[in-house]
Amino acid sequence: MAAFTAEIVYRGIFQKNLAARIVRGIVLSARKSGRWGIAFGRYGDSPQRNGIPAKDFAIVADTKEELEQNMARYEPKHVDVTICVDDTLAKGVESWAWYGLQPLNRLIVPGGTLLITSLQPYGDILRDIHRKDTPFTMALIRARASFSGLWVYKEDHTEVRILGALAKIVPAFLSLDAVCQAVSEMEWGSDLKVASARKAYDRLESREIEAGEGNPETPYSFELPRWWEMREGVSIPAIPLGKPKEGGKGYVPERNPYFKKFSTRTMRPVIDFDTCVKCNLCWISCPDSCFDVMPDGTFDANMESCCGCGVCEAVCPVEKCITMVNESVFDDNASQWDAWRQDKDAYRTWMIDKISNTQATVRSHGFRFRGQYEEELKSELDAGGQAITAGIPGENAQHKTV
Amino acid sequence: MAETTFPNATQVLEPFRGIKRVTMEEYFTSGHRTCQGCESALVMKLMVKAAGPRTIVLGSTGCMYVANTTYYTTPWVVPWMHTQLGSSGSAALGTAAGLKSLMRKGKMKAEPINVIAFCGDGGGADMGIGAISATLTHKEYNSLILLYDNESYANTDIQLSGMTPYGAHTTFSPPGKAKRIIHTRWKKNMAGMMAAGHPECRYVATVCASFAVDMMNKVRRALTIGGPTFIHSLDPCPKGWDYDPMLSHELGELAIETGVFPLYEVEDGQVKYYGKTKSIVEGRPRKPVREYLLKQGRFAHFTEEDLAYFQAKVDEMWQWEIPAVVPFRRLDRAKAALEVK
Repeated sequence: MAAFTAEIVYRGIFQKNLAARIVRGIVLSARKSGRWGIAFGRYGDSPQRNGIPAKDFAIVADTKEELEQNMARYEPKHVDVTICVDDTLAKGVESWAWYGLQPLNRLIVPGGTLLITSLQPYGDILRDIHRKDTPFTMALIRARASFSGLWVYKEDHTEVRILGALAKIVPAFLSLDAVCQAVSEMEWGSDLKVASARKAYDRLESREIEAGEGNPETPYSFELPRWWEMREGVSIPAIPLGKPKEGGKGYVPERNPYFKKFSTRTMRPVIDFDTCVKCNLCWISCPDSCFDVMPDGTFDANMESCCGCGVCEAVCPVEKCITMVNESVFDDNASQWDAWRQDKDAYRTWMIDKISNTQATVRSHGFRFRGQYEEELKSELDAGGQAITAGIPGENAQHKTV
Repeated sequence: MAETTFPNATQVLEPFRGIKRVTMEEYFTSGHRTCQGCESALVMKLMVKAAGPRTIVLGSTGCMYVANTTYYTTPWVVPWMHTQLGSSGSAALGTAAGLKSLMRKGKMKAEPINVIAFCGDGGGADMGIGAISATLTHKEYNSLILLYDNESYANTDIQLSGMTPYGAHTTFSPPGKAKRIIHTRWKKNMAGMMAAGHPECRYVATVCASFAVDMMNKVRRALTIGGPTFIHSLDPCPKGWDYDPMLSHELGELAIETGVFPLYEVEDGQVKYYGKTKSIVEGRPRKPVREYLLKQGRFAHFTEEDLAYFQAKVDEMWQWEIPAVVPFRRLDRAKAALEVK
């Protein structure tokens, strides 16, 4: 008599179909192992937005009664396995205003497992993941985060690789044979995918994480209003007007203090203030009003409100003046302009180090043209990436088939 | 034409002469739960940046309501109120009338206050069209209704609306093996319809936030001309159109350059085209629509045949008597009358 619960932490919309496939795969693999399962999304994440963290859950139990007992919850409070399909979520999860920053490993039971897709070494991921007072295991699938959109799916086998890895992590619930059988029978399954699941099972790396190991920072939280403090008619005070940056020059808008975009961001703009021509285009085109106007007329992307869309890089007329760089290579949200003002040479060294990192500047955030995902997969393999299978998938990439 | 003098004074809002002269103040700021690269959030920001601090904004249900006011928090600096899905028109009219009445009775200081109601394409072009139409006939009240059109019910995960383009993949129109094109209706022509159908509405315009200064100046014109006005904004939507959020700005530009969406204003019955749209009307070439369509996952199932059909329908739009504004043709007398003007 036993049950296990897994959560998938993923990027809203970008990975919605991926997460749905994983939890569905868990349930169907459980059936093939003679057990019962259920999959559901977290109600509070809907409506999903591109990039905003979201969760799906899967529960597997030996008997129907036990499954029902575990289903009688709005949202699981503890999970045996947390599956994270984008390593930039290691910095934390903030789904709505009022949540504050929730550590990625918050729900993992003592001795549970965090299964994460990443190309980073353990040490780098642990710099981001908040410390926990109980030990857990970190298991790694060597893969880049797989992003696509609502309608066209990136068939890079991530879903079956996760399922194969789970068979190794919780063999008492999902056997590898059951996973392979389920994968071969699913509408999006194939023999190639079965091979990928087996490979992931064989190659899974893992490491024990001690209690107290990890990012020592206290995740930020808010003082929530009490019900008696709320005003009549559910009215709330407006945000005050912004102020000049300093000495009456520049402009810094006031911002919503209860919802920041730290954890929505998958990439961030790195700005070359020396080549900036002060054309205002990034500032006017930013949907999140994240650019503060500096006294010298340049613009500093405020990391509390940048959600990392990349529109600024797209509209910037100067080459390499704004470069989007993967969030995983940054350790804090400090102002780039302040660093540049303090020491221009040190800033230049830092900036060049970031923007010349070819791994971190790769961008695959959804559809750009037909056949793109197949091209990306091929070039990744050609560049010596982790072989998924012998073949390049892509036949199914035209349509969503969840 | 004594009736055309409006009793309500409006604010004085001069057009911005270039991007460098745009005001720095933000009245819609950060901290909203919109998608990465959300063009509609940009529309909100530019709309109130143009309108200024003495503005009341009313929003009907949609992304710009749900995403912008998550739990008891707000990114709005100006007063904002939610109104029901189909009622942006009624909310605009009621607020404008209420303010006027309070000022007449001396219960509040008499001053021109901008009233803007926004609606999505579902709330405006589908559900709210009757109320918007009614508001546009009440010429004694100053208000602006701004339709932000992301071409689907994007908030509830992309159901098709009357503004969804032909053939697009939505939750309600998934392409299948037996039938590839499920959504076979052509999109409504909202701005043209509002301009043609409301002779006393003095200002109707189309905008796209990729052309930010033009957009803000049209909002300023709509708020200063007097009476009810209407603006239709085309907003690329990374979630529903399925593209890399980085391309939001570029897709807005492509929509104009391919002639899928025109930029124009109708002021007191006079049509004025803007930018690329103007050069298209003057006969310069349009980019092929495939450059716009094939950058979006929602059209990934299109074959050459579908692309050709879409292109032909767009070509047709530019053959209209008043190109891309109202779908009338071969009215010789109307044409002669226009030439006299």
